Amino acid sequence: MVAAGRFIASRNVYGLAWIGADLIVKDRYGSKADFISIGQPVSDSVIPFIGSEDEILDLQKNPDASIELPGVVIHGGNDSQERYNLSLFWSPQERCYLLLVARASLDAALEIELLRHVRARLMAEAEIKAKSDELACANRDLEDFAAIISHDLKAPMRALHYMTDDLEAALADNRLDDARTKLAWIRSQSRRMSSMLAALLDYSSIGRKSRALEPVDTKALVNSIASSLPLEDGFNIVVEGDWPEFETLKAPLDLVLRNLADNAIKHHDRPDGVVTMSARDTPDALVITVSDDGPGIAPEHHQAVFLPFRTLIAGDAAASAGIGMGLALVERTIQNMGGAIRLLPAPSGQRGATFEVIWPKTLTETPI
Amino acid sequence: MSRARKVMLLGEIGVGKSSLARRLVFDKFSREYKPTIGVEVYRYDIPAAALGGPKSLVEPLSLILWDTDGNFGDAIFRHVYIKQAAAAVIVGDQSRPDTIDAMLRLARGFADVLPGRAIHFVLNKDDLADAAGGSDAEGRLTTPQIAGLGPIPFIKTSAMSGAMVEQAFIATAKAILRRGH
Repeated sequence: MVAAGRFIASRNVYGLAWIGADLIVKDRYGSKADFISIGQPVSDSVIPFIGSEDEILDLQKNPDASIELPGVVIHGGNDSQERYNLSLFWSPQERCYLLLVARASLDAALEIELLRHVRARLMAEAEIKAKSDELACANRDLEDFAAIISHDLKAPMRALHYMTDDLEAALADNRLDDARTKLAWIRSQSRRMSSMLAALLDYSSIGRKSRALEPVDTKALVNSIASSLPLEDGFNIVVEGDWPEFETLKAPLDLVLRNLADNAIKHHDRPDGVVTMSARDTPDALVITVSDDGPGIAPEHHQAVFLPFRTLIAGDAAASAGIGMGLALVERTIQNMGGAIRLLPAPSGQRGATFEVIWPKTLTETPI
Repeated sequence: MSRARKVMLLGEIGVGKSSLARRLVFDKFSREYKPTIGVEVYRYDIPAAALGGPKSLVEPLSLILWDTDGNFGDAIFRHVYIKQAAAAVIVGDQSRPDTIDAMLRLARGFADVLPGRAIHFVLNKDDLADAAGGSDAEGRLTTPQIAGLGPIPFIKTSAMSGAMVEQAFIATAKAILRRGH
């Protein structure tokens, strides 16, 4: 887009200004746009837009629309006689307004037609840029994916290799009990590696699955999750707060809630405990908290918990704690919705961990 | 930035709309007639003291004057230029009866597309009124032809001498504030 703007502006035919969603001018190119002040509200220098702020904001809802003001002479601070054709539209890809300023001739119709062509070109450029960004993002994903595979699957692969050598040695020495133990270990490791690969595939496919909205009764959804999780006697899941019905993606929300609750139960250090799932309904988002009264997570591990294959449990207990993909899946799913998750610091002297999820009510395209 | 409101300058070709705007904003007058093509937009800042009124209204106000091409005629009401206008100053030439007819028609058209907005009549070229032997423009602007719109204030101005030009626009600004648009 910037390249297109420079190309057009450099020919001194058009000026171009980038205007933020807050209607502040961010940048401009070309002498035709010299009268537009950067860092100021657009209507300060483009006075015909004064009073049209609501109409301009409405353009964000309809990117196909534009405000066209043909043949306008703007008498600002000086007594200019320059006549302009102004064309303002919203670029959803760049999340800013673009203002095209063309010197108007008496043949305003021709100028407007030219403006339309320029606008079409700019929109096409923006679309190409958005696709490039998406591709770059996908490439980054691929690199991450490769890094995770090489780092996290290499160690068990190496262990398998050594274990088969040991198995061979045990069989050569006729140590059959030892050989059986090693075979069982090899089976267990291969199952674990299969689980890791399956989780990685799930992780990589987030964002490429269907994004069909449907009305979701979040109260019914959270209750069904709470009742379906296997609980020891003495363990409780409490659902509280305001869980509304609204249009969203049901499967990703299910995944997030289920994993957070499951995680809280799985990492609890006592046979009894309480997991509380609560929600607060706001105009823009559903704010969900999932808290437990377990051992909590030390502040130095708050970032690491969202990394793939990271589990904070060491030793034998690690095997039953899963492969460490739950919170990575949760975070990636929420980010794909345009939302956010954070681990809240525990109040001083209190046990437990609390995850807060901002689940947006409006789906935004945030390819990850 | 102070509050700002859009004001349409409407009227037949050659009644002096641009001359009024240029006198108001730049305090200039030119005898050379240059017809307006499309629209020219001016900004005129009115200090709070000039607006008077209750304390809550004592705040500067900027008028964004949209000086339109007289050729538009009634088509101006279907044009993008008219959007979000808070008021219209409709200008006529006392010495040209056809321009008075146009004022009445434009007032009706403006009230139809933007009901409730302030409308002011300006009878320009007051300096030429005596030479023209007087006219019944004043009387015609209060005839039943514009019944239903209520009384529309009018003021006589001379863009050439500057007489009453500022007062005409300050009166419009006050009317905008009274109406809350």
